[in-house]
Amino acid sequence: MNLILQNIGRRFGSKWIVRHLDLEVGEGECLALLGPSGCGKSTTLRLIAGLDQPNEGSITIAGEDVTTVSPVDRRIGMVFQSYALFPHLTVFANLALGLQVRGIAASDRKRRVASVLALMQLEDLAERHPAELSGGQRQRVALARALLRDPLVYLLDEPMSNLDAQLREDLRPQLRHLILKGSQPVVYVTHDQHEAMAMAHRIAVMRDGKIEQIGTPQELYHNPSSLFVASFIGRPQINLLPAESGIIKAIRPEHLQLSSEGIPCRLVYKEWLGTSQLLILESNRGPLRMLCASEISIPETIKINWPPEKEHQFDASSGERY
Amino acid sequence: MMRQRKLWITVLLLWSLAPLLWQLYTSFCTHEALLQPLAEHNQRWTLDNYRQVLTANPPFWRYLLNSVIVGIGSTSLTLLIAIPAAYSLSKVSQNVARVAKFILLGAALFPYVLLFLALLELARSFNLGNNLLALSFPYAGLSMPLAVLLLLSAFRDLPSELEEAARLEGLDLWQRLRWVLIPLIGPATASTAILVFLFSWNEYPIALTWISRADLLTLPVAIARIAGSSVYSIPYGAYAAATVLGALPLLLLVLIFQRQIVSGLTQGAIKG
Repeated sequence: MNLILQNIGRRFGSKWIVRHLDLEVGEGECLALLGPSGCGKSTTLRLIAGLDQPNEGSITIAGEDVTTVSPVDRRIGMVFQSYALFPHLTVFANLALGLQVRGIAASDRKRRVASVLALMQLEDLAERHPAELSGGQRQRVALARALLRDPLVYLLDEPMSNLDAQLREDLRPQLRHLILKGSQPVVYVTHDQHEAMAMAHRIAVMRDGKIEQIGTPQELYHNPSSLFVASFIGRPQINLLPAESGIIKAIRPEHLQLSSEGIPCRLVYKEWLGTSQLLILESNRGPLRMLCASEISIPETIKINWPPEKEHQFDASSGERY
Repeated sequence: MMRQRKLWITVLLLWSLAPLLWQLYTSFCTHEALLQPLAEHNQRWTLDNYRQVLTANPPFWRYLLNSVIVGIGSTSLTLLIAIPAAYSLSKVSQNVARVAKFILLGAALFPYVLLFLALLELARSFNLGNNLLALSFPYAGLSMPLAVLLLLSAFRDLPSELEEAARLEGLDLWQRLRWVLIPLIGPATASTAILVFLFSWNEYPIALTWISRADLLTLPVAIARIAGSSVYSIPYGAYAAATVLGALPLLLLVLIFQRQIVSGLTQGAIKG
Protein backbone atom coordinates (compact mmCIF):
# COMPACT_ATOMS: atom_id res chain seq x y z
CA MET A 1 0.00 0.00 0.00
CA ASN A 2 1.31 3.43 -0.85
CA LEU A 3 0.21 6.91 -1.79
CA ILE A 4 1.54 8.83 -4.77
CA LEU A 5 0.83 12.43 -5.74
CA GLN A 6 2.01 13.46 -9.18
CA ASN A 7 2.26 17.08 -10.30
CA ILE A 8 -0.71 18.10 -8.17
CA GLY A 9 -2.04 21.61 -8.66
CA ARG A 10 -5.03 23.37 -7.14
CA ARG A 11 -6.03 26.95 -7.72
CA PHE A 12 -8.78 29.26 -6.55
CA GLY A 13 -9.45 31.74 -9.32
CA SER A 14 -6.05 32.54 -10.74
CA LYS A 15 -4.17 31.94 -7.48
CA TRP A 16 -2.41 28.59 -7.15
CA ILE A 17 -2.68 27.23 -3.62
CA VAL A 18 -0.43 24.27 -4.44
CA ARG A 19 1.35 23.58 -7.69
CA HIS A 20 3.76 21.05 -9.19
CA LEU A 21 3.55 18.94 -6.06
CA ASP A 22 5.07 15.46 -6.17
CA LEU A 23 4.93 13.22 -3.15
CA GLU A 24 5.29 9.55 -2.42
CA VAL A 25 4.44 7.97 0.90
CA GLY A 26 5.45 4.34 1.26
CA GLU A 27 3.87 1.41 3.04
CA GLY A 28 3.66 2.03 6.77
CA GLU A 29 5.45 5.31 6.40
CA CYS A 30 4.48 8.46 8.27
CA LEU A 31 5.08 11.62 6.31
CA ALA A 32 4.62 15.01 7.96
CA LEU A 33 3.53 18.00 5.90
CA LEU A 34 5.11 20.85 7.79
CA GLY A 35 4.81 24.53 7.11
CA PRO A 36 3.43 27.85 8.25
CA SER A 37 -0.29 28.49 7.92
CA GLY A 38 -1.35 29.18 4.34
CA CYS A 39 1.46 27.10 2.83
CA GLY A 40 -1.02 24.66 1.25
CA LYS A 41 -0.53 21.70 3.56
CA SER A 42 -4.21 21.44 4.55
CA THR A 43 -5.27 21.87 0.93
CA THR A 44 -2.96 18.99 -0.01
CA LEU A 45 -4.56 16.83 2.66
CA ARG A 46 -8.06 17.68 1.44
CA LEU A 47 -7.03 16.80 -2.12
CA ILE A 48 -5.79 13.38 -0.96
CA ALA A 49 -9.04 12.85 0.97
CA GLY A 50 -11.10 13.78 -2.10
CA LEU A 51 -12.84 16.60 -0.26
CA ASP A 52 -11.41 18.88 -2.92
CA GLN A 53 -10.52 18.25 -6.56
CA PRO A 54 -7.11 19.10 -8.05
CA ASN A 55 -6.99 21.25 -11.20
CA GLU A 56 -4.08 19.20 -12.48
CA GLY A 57 -2.11 16.11 -11.60
CA SER A 58 -3.08 12.70 -10.31
CA ILE A 59 -3.41 10.86 -7.01
CA THR A 60 -2.76 7.14 -6.66
CA ILE A 61 -3.69 5.09 -3.60
CA ALA A 62 -2.57 1.46 -3.34
CA GLY A 63 -1.77 1.36 -7.04
CA GLU A 64 -5.11 2.71 -8.16
CA ASP A 65 -5.64 6.14 -9.69
CA VAL A 66 -8.23 7.80 -7.44
CA THR A 67 -8.04 11.35 -8.81
CA THR A 68 -11.72 11.36 -9.72
CA VAL A 69 -12.91 8.79 -7.18
CA SER A 70 -15.36 9.97 -4.47
CA PRO A 71 -14.03 10.41 -0.91
CA VAL A 72 -15.89 7.39 0.43
CA ASP A 73 -14.47 5.02 -2.18
CA ARG A 74 -10.93 6.15 -1.45
CA ARG A 75 -11.23 4.58 2.02
CA ILE A 76 -9.63 7.37 3.99
CA GLY A 77 -9.24 7.37 7.76
CA MET A 78 -9.09 11.00 8.68
CA VAL A 79 -8.72 12.82 11.98
CA PHE A 80 -9.77 16.44 11.72
CA GLN A 81 -8.26 19.29 13.66
CA SER A 82 -11.59 19.94 15.38
CA TYR A 83 -12.19 16.14 15.51
CA ALA A 84 -15.53 16.74 13.77
CA LEU A 85 -17.46 14.38 16.01
CA PHE A 86 -21.22 14.53 15.48
CA PRO A 87 -22.36 16.51 18.53
CA HIS A 88 -25.92 15.13 18.63
CA LEU A 89 -24.82 11.49 18.73
CA THR A 90 -23.30 9.44 21.54
CA VAL A 91 -19.77 8.11 21.20
CA PHE A 92 -21.17 4.72 20.24
CA ALA A 93 -23.50 6.22 17.61
CA ASN A 94 -20.70 8.39 16.27
CA LEU A 95 -18.63 5.28 15.62
CA ALA A 96 -21.51 3.14 14.37
CA LEU A 97 -23.00 5.63 11.91
CA GLY A 98 -20.39 5.07 9.22
CA LEU A 99 -20.59 1.28 9.55
CA GLN A 100 -24.35 1.47 9.32
CA VAL A 101 -24.47 3.48 6.11
CA ARG A 102 -21.79 1.25 4.62
CA GLY A 103 -24.18 -1.63 5.12
CA ILE A 104 -22.58 -3.55 8.01
CA ALA A 105 -25.11 -5.73 9.84
CA ALA A 106 -26.19 -4.55 13.30
CA SER A 107 -24.58 -7.39 15.29
CA ASP A 108 -21.29 -7.07 13.41
CA ARG A 109 -21.40 -3.31 13.85
CA LYS A 110 -21.83 -3.65 17.60
CA ARG A 111 -18.93 -6.07 17.87
CA ARG A 112 -16.58 -3.91 15.85
CA VAL A 113 -17.42 -0.71 17.70
CA ALA A 114 -17.02 -2.51 21.03
CA SER A 115 -13.60 -3.85 20.10
CA VAL A 116 -12.30 -0.45 18.99
CA LEU A 117 -13.77 1.16 22.11
CA ALA A 118 -11.85 -1.38 24.18
CA LEU A 119 -8.67 -0.74 22.20
CA MET A 120 -8.92 3.00 22.83
CA GLN A 121 -10.00 2.53 26.46
CA LEU A 122 -13.28 4.30 25.79
CA GLU A 123 -15.72 1.61 26.99
CA ASP A 124 -17.03 3.71 29.88
CA LEU A 125 -17.72 6.66 27.62
CA ALA A 126 -19.79 4.87 24.96
CA GLU A 127 -23.06 6.53 25.99
CA ARG A 128 -21.64 10.03 26.45
CA HIS A 129 -22.01 12.86 23.98
CA PRO A 130 -18.90 14.57 22.58
CA ALA A 131 -19.60 17.73 24.62
CA GLU A 132 -19.20 15.66 27.80
CA LEU A 133 -15.70 14.49 26.86
CA SER A 134 -12.32 16.05 27.49
CA GLY A 135 -10.09 17.10 24.61
CA GLY A 136 -7.97 13.97 24.87
CA GLN A 137 -11.04 11.71 24.96
CA ARG A 138 -12.49 13.42 21.89
CA GLN A 139 -9.24 12.88 20.06
CA ARG A 140 -9.37 9.20 20.94
CA VAL A 141 -12.93 8.93 19.63
CA ALA A 142 -11.88 10.65 16.40
CA LEU A 143 -8.99 8.21 16.11
CA ALA A 144 -11.32 5.29 16.83
CA ARG A 145 -13.57 6.43 13.98
CA ALA A 146 -10.58 6.53 11.63
CA LEU A 147 -9.52 3.04 12.72
CA LEU A 148 -13.03 1.64 12.17
CA ARG A 149 -12.90 2.93 8.64
CA ASP A 150 -10.32 0.19 7.91
CA PRO A 151 -8.61 2.69 5.63
CA LEU A 152 -6.02 2.50 2.87
CA VAL A 153 -4.50 5.81 3.99
CA TYR A 154 -4.52 7.72 7.28
CA LEU A 155 -4.75 11.49 7.12
CA LEU A 156 -4.18 13.44 10.31
CA ASP A 157 -4.89 17.16 10.23
CA GLU A 158 -3.18 18.82 13.21
CA PRO A 159 -4.50 16.03 15.47
CA MET A 160 -2.76 17.41 18.55
CA SER A 161 -3.17 21.15 18.13
CA ASN A 162 -6.20 21.39 20.43
CA LEU A 163 -4.50 19.58 23.30
CA ASP A 164 -2.24 20.95 26.00
CA ALA A 165 1.46 20.21 25.93
CA GLN A 166 1.41 17.48 28.59
CA LEU A 167 -1.40 15.59 26.88
CA ARG A 168 0.42 15.73 23.55
CA GLU A 169 3.44 14.07 25.06
CA ASP A 170 1.19 11.39 26.56
CA LEU A 171 -0.74 10.75 23.36
CA ARG A 172 2.21 10.59 20.97
CA PRO A 173 3.24 7.02 21.85
CA GLN A 174 -0.40 5.91 21.66
CA LEU A 175 -0.85 7.47 18.24
CA ARG A 176 2.39 5.96 17.03
CA HIS A 177 1.41 2.55 18.36
CA LEU A 178 -2.09 2.56 16.85
CA ILE A 179 -1.49 4.00 13.43
CA LEU A 180 2.14 3.69 12.56
CA LYS A 181 2.26 -0.03 13.28
CA GLY A 182 -0.11 -0.65 10.37
CA SER A 183 0.92 -0.96 6.76
CA GLN A 184 -1.02 2.12 5.65
CA PRO A 185 0.77 5.30 4.63
CA VAL A 186 0.12 8.15 7.07
CA VAL A 187 0.08 11.83 6.16
CA TYR A 188 0.41 14.04 9.19
CA VAL A 189 -0.23 17.76 8.78
CA THR A 190 1.24 20.05 11.40
CA HIS A 191 2.77 23.46 11.82
CA ASP A 192 4.75 22.27 14.85
CA GLN A 193 8.24 21.21 13.77
CA HIS A 194 8.84 19.52 17.10
CA GLU A 195 5.80 17.29 16.60
CA ALA A 196 6.76 16.55 13.00
CA MET A 197 10.25 15.49 14.05
CA ALA A 198 8.85 13.32 16.84
CA MET A 199 6.19 11.54 14.79
CA ALA A 200 7.30 11.34 11.17
CA HIS A 201 9.72 9.14 9.29
CA ARG A 202 10.05 11.85 6.69
CA ILE A 203 9.08 15.50 6.66
CA ALA A 204 8.03 17.60 3.68
CA VAL A 205 8.54 21.27 4.46
CA MET A 206 6.05 23.31 2.47
CA ARG A 207 6.06 26.96 1.58
CA ASP A 208 3.79 28.92 -0.78
CA GLY A 209 2.22 25.77 -2.22
CA LYS A 210 5.47 24.01 -2.99
CA ILE A 211 7.59 21.45 -1.24
CA GLU A 212 10.73 23.24 -0.16
CA GLN A 213 12.54 20.12 0.97
CA ILE A 214 11.64 16.55 1.78
CA GLY A 215 13.69 14.16 3.88
CA THR A 216 14.17 12.49 7.22
CA PRO A 217 14.19 14.77 10.27
CA GLN A 218 17.98 14.24 10.45
CA GLU A 219 18.50 15.24 6.82
CA LEU A 220 16.45 18.40 7.24
CA TYR A 221 18.26 19.27 10.42
CA HIS A 222 21.81 18.66 9.28
CA ASN A 223 21.43 19.43 5.64
CA PRO A 224 18.74 22.07 5.05
CA SER A 225 18.42 22.88 1.36
CA SER A 226 17.32 26.46 1.90
CA LEU A 227 17.37 29.29 4.34
CA PHE A 228 13.65 28.78 4.96
CA VAL A 229 14.06 25.12 5.97
CA ALA A 230 17.11 25.95 8.09
CA SER A 231 15.20 28.53 10.09
CA PHE A 232 11.96 26.51 10.23
CA ILE A 233 13.52 23.32 11.57
CA GLY A 234 15.28 23.25 14.92
CA ARG A 235 14.67 25.14 18.12
CA PRO A 236 16.24 27.37 19.36
CA GLN A 237 16.33 28.86 15.89
CA ILE A 238 19.47 28.73 13.77
CA ASN A 239 21.80 31.76 13.83
CA LEU A 240 21.99 33.74 10.60
CA LEU A 241 24.99 35.96 10.12
CA PRO A 242 24.60 39.10 8.00
CA ALA A 243 25.25 38.53 4.29
CA GLU A 244 28.82 38.89 3.10
CA SER A 245 29.41 39.04 -0.67
CA GLY A 246 26.01 37.50 -1.32
CA ILE A 247 26.34 34.60 1.12
CA ILE A 248 24.50 34.10 4.39
CA LYS A 249 26.20 31.84 6.92
CA ALA A 250 23.99 29.86 9.30
CA ILE A 251 25.10 28.00 12.41
CA ARG A 252 22.93 26.07 14.85
CA PRO A 253 23.06 27.39 18.45
CA GLU A 254 24.50 24.12 19.77
CA HIS A 255 27.42 24.29 17.33
CA LEU A 256 28.73 27.58 18.69
CA GLN A 257 31.56 27.12 21.16
CA LEU A 258 33.65 29.24 23.46
CA SER A 259 37.12 29.85 22.12
CA SER A 260 40.11 32.12 22.47
CA GLU A 261 39.79 33.31 18.88
CA GLY A 262 36.51 34.35 17.24
CA ILE A 263 33.65 36.81 17.36
CA PRO A 264 33.67 38.87 20.55
CA CYS A 265 30.24 38.79 22.25
CA ARG A 266 28.52 40.25 25.25
CA LEU A 267 26.13 38.07 27.28
CA VAL A 268 22.67 39.66 27.36
CA TYR A 269 20.86 36.96 29.34
CA LYS A 270 20.67 33.25 30.01
CA GLU A 271 17.73 30.85 29.79
CA TRP A 272 18.25 27.81 31.92
CA LEU A 273 16.76 24.73 30.17
CA GLY A 274 17.78 21.97 32.56
CA THR A 275 20.58 19.99 30.97
CA SER A 276 21.52 22.93 28.80
CA GLN A 277 21.40 26.69 28.87
CA LEU A 278 20.51 29.09 26.10
CA LEU A 279 22.73 32.16 25.91
CA ILE A 280 21.48 35.27 24.16
CA LEU A 281 24.55 37.11 22.93
CA GLU A 282 25.12 40.50 21.40
CA SER A 283 27.92 40.83 18.84
CA ASN A 284 29.05 43.08 16.02
CA ARG A 285 27.48 40.47 13.66
CA GLY A 286 24.05 40.90 15.32
CA PRO A 287 22.35 38.90 18.10
CA LEU A 288 23.36 35.24 18.46
CA ARG A 289 21.84 32.25 20.24
CA MET A 290 24.15 29.72 21.77
CA LEU A 291 23.31 26.44 23.47
CA CYS A 292 25.81 24.89 25.88
CA ALA A 293 25.90 22.60 28.89
CA SER A 294 24.35 24.20 31.93
CA GLU A 295 27.35 23.54 34.22
CA ILE A 296 29.60 25.97 32.34
CA SER A 297 29.70 29.39 33.93
CA ILE A 298 29.74 32.18 31.39
CA PRO A 299 31.57 35.48 31.89
CA GLU A 300 30.14 38.79 30.76
CA THR A 301 32.25 38.99 27.61
CA ILE A 302 33.26 35.94 25.59
CA LYS A 303 34.60 34.95 22.21
CA ILE A 304 32.80 32.34 20.17
CA ASN A 305 33.65 30.19 17.20
CA TRP A 306 32.33 27.12 15.39
CA PRO A 307 33.74 24.15 13.51
CA PRO A 308 33.75 25.03 9.80
CA GLU A 309 31.99 21.78 8.79
CA LYS A 310 28.97 22.81 10.92
CA GLU A 311 28.49 26.00 8.98
CA HIS A 312 25.68 26.22 6.38
CA GLN A 313 25.96 28.68 3.54
CA PHE A 314 23.01 30.10 1.63
CA ASP A 315 22.67 32.39 -1.33
CA ALA A 316 21.45 35.71 0.07
CA SER A 317 19.09 36.51 -2.81
CA SER A 318 17.53 33.11 -3.59
CA GLY A 319 17.86 31.57 -0.11
CA GLU A 320 19.14 28.35 -1.67
CA ARG A 321 22.02 26.33 -0.34
CA TYR A 322 25.29 27.65 -1.67
CA MET B 1 -29.74 48.38 39.81
CA MET B 2 -31.44 45.06 40.47
CA ARG B 3 -34.59 46.72 41.76
CA GLN B 4 -34.78 49.00 38.77
CA ARG B 5 -34.45 46.04 36.45
CA LYS B 6 -37.24 44.20 38.20
CA LEU B 7 -39.43 47.25 37.86
CA TRP B 8 -38.77 47.44 34.14
CA ILE B 9 -39.51 43.77 33.68
CA THR B 10 -42.80 44.21 35.55
CA VAL B 11 -43.75 47.18 33.38
CA LEU B 12 -42.89 45.29 30.21
CA LEU B 13 -44.83 42.24 31.35
CA LEU B 14 -47.87 44.36 32.13
CA TRP B 15 -47.55 46.12 28.80
CA SER B 16 -47.56 42.89 26.81
CA LEU B 17 -49.85 40.77 28.99
CA ALA B 18 -52.54 43.35 29.88
CA PRO B 19 -54.43 43.09 26.55
CA LEU B 20 -54.44 39.30 26.86
CA LEU B 21 -55.66 39.42 30.46
CA TRP B 22 -58.34 41.90 29.46
CA GLN B 23 -59.43 39.52 26.71
CA LEU B 24 -59.58 36.67 29.21
CA TYR B 25 -61.60 38.82 31.63
CA THR B 26 -63.98 39.89 28.89
CA SER B 27 -64.58 36.34 27.78
CA PHE B 28 -65.92 35.37 31.23
CA CYS B 29 -68.13 38.45 31.73
CA THR B 30 -71.81 38.78 31.02
CA HIS B 31 -72.81 41.35 28.45
CA GLU B 32 -74.31 43.63 31.14
CA ALA B 33 -71.18 43.52 33.28
CA LEU B 34 -69.12 44.53 30.29
CA LEU B 35 -71.26 47.54 29.47
CA GLN B 36 -71.36 48.80 33.06
CA PRO B 37 -68.25 47.43 34.68
CA LEU B 38 -68.60 49.51 37.87
CA ALA B 39 -72.29 48.85 38.62
CA GLU B 40 -73.64 46.09 40.87
CA HIS B 41 -74.76 42.97 39.00
CA ASN B 42 -76.46 39.89 40.31
CA GLN B 43 -74.55 37.92 37.72
CA ARG B 44 -71.09 39.14 36.64
CA TRP B 45 -69.31 35.89 35.65
CA THR B 46 -70.57 33.51 32.99
CA LEU B 47 -69.54 30.70 30.66
CA ASP B 48 -72.26 31.66 28.20
CA ASN B 49 -69.78 33.26 25.78
CA TYR B 50 -67.87 30.01 25.44
CA ARG B 51 -71.09 28.02 25.22
CA GLN B 52 -72.33 30.30 22.45
CA VAL B 53 -69.08 30.01 20.48
CA LEU B 54 -68.75 26.26 20.89
CA THR B 55 -72.34 25.37 20.06
CA ALA B 56 -72.66 27.63 17.03
CA ASN B 57 -73.17 25.98 13.66
CA PRO B 58 -70.61 24.98 12.48
CA PRO B 59 -69.03 24.55 15.95
CA PHE B 60 -65.90 26.48 16.82
CA TRP B 61 -63.60 23.44 16.98
CA ARG B 62 -64.25 23.03 13.28
CA TYR B 63 -62.46 26.33 12.58
CA LEU B 64 -59.67 25.32 14.94
CA LEU B 65 -59.27 22.12 12.99
CA ASN B 66 -59.28 24.00 9.68
CA SER B 67 -56.57 26.33 10.90
CA VAL B 68 -54.50 23.43 12.20
CA ILE B 69 -54.79 21.67 8.82
CA VAL B 70 -53.74 24.80 6.94
CA GLY B 71 -50.97 25.48 9.47
CA ILE B 72 -49.50 21.99 9.25
CA GLY B 73 -49.86 22.03 5.47
CA SER B 74 -48.07 25.35 5.03
CA THR B 75 -45.38 24.59 7.60
CA SER B 76 -44.54 21.21 6.06
CA LEU B 77 -44.55 22.59 2.54
CA THR B 78 -42.34 25.51 3.57
CA LEU B 79 -39.78 23.33 5.35
CA LEU B 80 -39.82 20.77 2.57
CA ILE B 81 -38.69 23.42 0.11
CA ALA B 82 -36.77 25.80 2.40
CA ILE B 83 -34.40 23.20 3.92
CA PRO B 84 -32.97 21.98 0.59
CA ALA B 85 -32.93 25.56 -0.73
CA ALA B 86 -31.05 26.85 2.32
CA TYR B 87 -28.63 23.91 2.18
CA SER B 88 -27.83 24.56 -1.48
CA LEU B 89 -27.38 28.27 -0.87
CA SER B 90 -24.95 27.46 1.93
CA LYS B 91 -22.88 25.50 -0.61
CA VAL B 92 -22.76 27.90 -3.55
CA SER B 93 -20.17 30.64 -3.88
CA GLN B 94 -20.35 33.66 -1.59
CA ASN B 95 -21.28 35.99 -4.45
CA VAL B 96 -24.21 33.92 -5.68
CA ALA B 97 -25.41 33.49 -2.09
CA ARG B 98 -25.21 37.22 -1.50
CA VAL B 99 -27.37 38.01 -4.53
CA ALA B 100 -29.85 35.31 -3.51
CA LYS B 101 -29.99 36.65 0.04
CA PHE B 102 -30.62 40.15 -1.27
CA ILE B 103 -33.51 38.95 -3.43
CA LEU B 104 -34.94 36.90 -0.56
CA LEU B 105 -34.73 39.87 1.77
CA GLY B 106 -36.54 42.00 -0.81
CA ALA B 107 -39.25 39.36 -1.11
CA ALA B 108 -39.56 39.06 2.67
CA LEU B 109 -40.04 42.81 3.02
CA PHE B 110 -42.57 43.08 0.18
CA PRO B 111 -46.04 43.94 1.56
CA TYR B 112 -47.98 40.85 0.61
CA VAL B 113 -51.36 42.61 0.74
CA LEU B 114 -50.42 44.01 -2.66
CA LEU B 115 -50.38 40.47 -3.99
CA PHE B 116 -53.68 39.16 -2.81
CA LEU B 117 -55.77 40.34 -5.76
CA ALA B 118 -53.36 38.62 -8.13
CA LEU B 119 -53.43 35.54 -5.90
CA LEU B 120 -57.20 35.56 -6.05
CA GLU B 121 -57.04 35.54 -9.85
CA LEU B 122 -54.69 32.55 -9.65
CA ALA B 123 -57.01 30.75 -7.29
CA ARG B 124 -59.88 31.35 -9.66
CA SER B 125 -58.10 30.14 -12.79
CA PHE B 126 -56.61 27.07 -11.08
CA ASN B 127 -59.83 26.35 -9.23
CA LEU B 128 -58.19 26.52 -5.80
CA GLY B 129 -61.05 28.28 -4.01
CA ASN B 130 -62.69 26.58 -1.00
CA ASN B 131 -59.81 24.16 -0.60
CA LEU B 132 -58.00 24.21 2.72
CA LEU B 133 -54.77 22.61 1.55
CA ALA B 134 -54.63 24.93 -1.47
CA LEU B 135 -54.38 27.76 1.04
CA SER B 136 -51.00 26.30 2.02
CA PHE B 137 -49.52 27.29 -1.34
CA PRO B 138 -49.67 31.07 -0.91
CA TYR B 139 -48.82 30.74 2.79
CA ALA B 140 -45.75 28.63 2.07
CA GLY B 141 -44.77 30.97 -0.73
CA LEU B 142 -45.08 34.06 1.44
CA SER B 143 -43.17 32.46 4.33
CA MET B 144 -40.45 31.06 2.09
CA PRO B 145 -38.03 34.04 1.98
CA LEU B 146 -37.84 34.37 5.76
CA ALA B 147 -37.66 30.59 6.25
CA VAL B 148 -34.81 30.20 3.75
CA LEU B 149 -32.88 33.10 5.31
CA LEU B 150 -33.22 31.68 8.84
CA LEU B 151 -32.25 28.15 7.81
CA LEU B 152 -29.42 29.41 5.62
CA SER B 153 -27.74 31.09 8.56
CA ALA B 154 -28.22 27.89 10.58
CA PHE B 155 -26.49 25.80 7.88
CA ARG B 156 -23.75 28.41 7.62
CA ASP B 157 -23.08 28.16 11.34
CA LEU B 158 -22.36 24.43 11.15
CA PRO B 159 -18.63 23.71 10.93
CA SER B 160 -17.87 22.38 7.44
CA GLU B 161 -15.64 19.66 8.91
CA LEU B 162 -18.75 17.90 10.24
CA GLU B 163 -20.16 17.37 6.79
CA GLU B 164 -16.75 16.43 5.42
CA ALA B 165 -16.33 13.83 8.14
CA ALA B 166 -19.74 12.45 7.18
CA ARG B 167 -18.72 12.31 3.52
CA LEU B 168 -15.59 10.36 4.36
CA GLU B 169 -17.71 8.00 6.47
CA GLY B 170 -19.70 7.22 3.35
CA LEU B 171 -22.90 9.17 3.94
CA ASP B 172 -24.48 10.34 0.69
CA LEU B 173 -26.20 13.70 0.39
CA TRP B 174 -29.56 12.45 1.66
CA GLN B 175 -27.99 10.53 4.55
CA ARG B 176 -25.90 13.54 5.55
CA LEU B 177 -29.03 15.68 5.67
CA ARG B 178 -31.05 13.02 7.46
CA TRP B 179 -28.50 11.90 10.06
CA VAL B 180 -26.21 14.86 10.59
CA LEU B 181 -27.31 18.23 9.22
CA ILE B 182 -31.05 18.37 9.88
CA PRO B 183 -30.71 17.12 13.49
CA LEU B 184 -28.06 19.77 14.07
CA ILE B 185 -30.19 22.61 12.73
CA GLY B 186 -33.15 21.36 14.81
CA PRO B 187 -33.50 24.52 16.92
CA ALA B 188 -33.48 26.78 13.87
CA THR B 189 -35.99 24.48 12.15
CA ALA B 190 -38.28 24.61 15.19
CA SER B 191 -38.24 28.40 15.38
CA THR B 192 -38.75 28.69 11.63
CA ALA B 193 -41.66 26.24 11.79
CA ILE B 194 -43.30 28.23 14.59
CA LEU B 195 -42.99 31.47 12.64
CA VAL B 196 -44.53 29.92 9.54
CA PHE B 197 -47.30 28.31 11.57
CA LEU B 198 -47.97 31.64 13.29
CA PHE B 199 -48.22 33.45 9.97
CA SER B 200 -50.64 30.88 8.61
CA TRP B 201 -52.65 30.94 11.86
CA ASN B 202 -53.10 34.72 11.75
CA GLU B 203 -53.43 35.31 8.02
CA TYR B 204 -56.66 37.10 7.07
CA PRO B 205 -57.03 38.64 3.58
CA ILE B 206 -56.13 35.55 1.55
CA ALA B 207 -58.19 33.24 3.77
CA LEU B 208 -61.12 35.64 3.47
CA THR B 209 -61.03 35.72 -0.31
CA TRP B 210 -60.12 32.10 -1.08
CA ILE B 211 -62.61 30.43 1.28
CA SER B 212 -66.33 31.11 1.23
CA ARG B 213 -67.88 27.88 2.53
CA ALA B 214 -68.72 28.36 6.24
CA ASP B 215 -67.42 24.93 7.30
CA LEU B 216 -64.01 25.61 5.71
CA LEU B 217 -63.28 29.01 7.28
CA THR B 218 -60.02 29.49 9.15
CA LEU B 219 -59.94 31.07 12.61
CA PRO B 220 -59.28 34.74 11.82
CA VAL B 221 -62.11 34.84 9.29
CA ALA B 222 -64.45 32.90 11.56
CA ILE B 223 -63.73 35.21 14.48
CA ALA B 224 -64.33 38.25 12.30
CA ARG B 225 -67.69 36.73 11.36
CA ILE B 226 -68.68 36.46 15.01
CA ALA B 227 -67.85 40.12 15.47
CA GLY B 228 -69.95 41.08 12.49
CA SER B 229 -72.81 38.65 13.11
CA SER B 230 -75.22 41.19 14.55
CA VAL B 231 -76.09 44.57 13.13
CA TYR B 232 -77.24 46.17 16.37
CA SER B 233 -74.66 45.10 18.93
CA ILE B 234 -71.11 43.85 19.04
CA PRO B 235 -70.87 40.51 20.87
CA TYR B 236 -67.75 41.41 22.81
CA GLY B 237 -67.99 38.38 25.09
CA ALA B 238 -68.27 35.81 22.32
CA TYR B 239 -65.58 37.58 20.34
CA ALA B 240 -63.22 37.46 23.33
CA ALA B 241 -64.03 33.80 24.02
CA ALA B 242 -63.23 32.93 20.39
CA THR B 243 -59.87 34.69 20.46
CA VAL B 244 -58.96 33.01 23.75
CA LEU B 245 -59.80 29.60 22.29
CA GLY B 246 -57.89 30.49 19.14
CA ALA B 247 -54.79 31.46 21.10
CA LEU B 248 -54.67 28.29 23.21
CA PRO B 249 -53.13 25.93 20.60
CA LEU B 250 -50.41 28.47 19.85
CA LEU B 251 -49.67 28.88 23.53
CA LEU B 252 -49.35 25.12 23.83
CA LEU B 253 -47.04 24.94 20.83
CA VAL B 254 -44.74 27.66 22.15
CA LEU B 255 -44.64 26.09 25.62
CA ILE B 256 -43.61 22.73 24.18
CA PHE B 257 -40.94 24.13 21.88
CA GLN B 258 -39.81 27.18 23.85
CA ARG B 259 -36.27 25.92 24.44
CA GLN B 260 -35.67 25.21 20.74
CA ILE B 261 -37.25 28.51 19.73
CA VAL B 262 -35.04 30.59 21.99
CA SER B 263 -31.86 28.75 21.04
CA GLY B 264 -32.88 28.91 17.37
CA LEU B 265 -33.52 32.63 17.44
CA THR B 266 -30.28 33.43 19.22
CA GLN B 267 -28.28 31.08 17.02
CA GLY B 268 -25.18 32.78 15.71
CA ALA B 269 -25.67 35.67 18.07
CA ILE B 270 -23.04 34.32 20.44
CA LYS B 271 -20.08 32.34 19.25
CA GLY B 272 -19.81 29.20 21.38
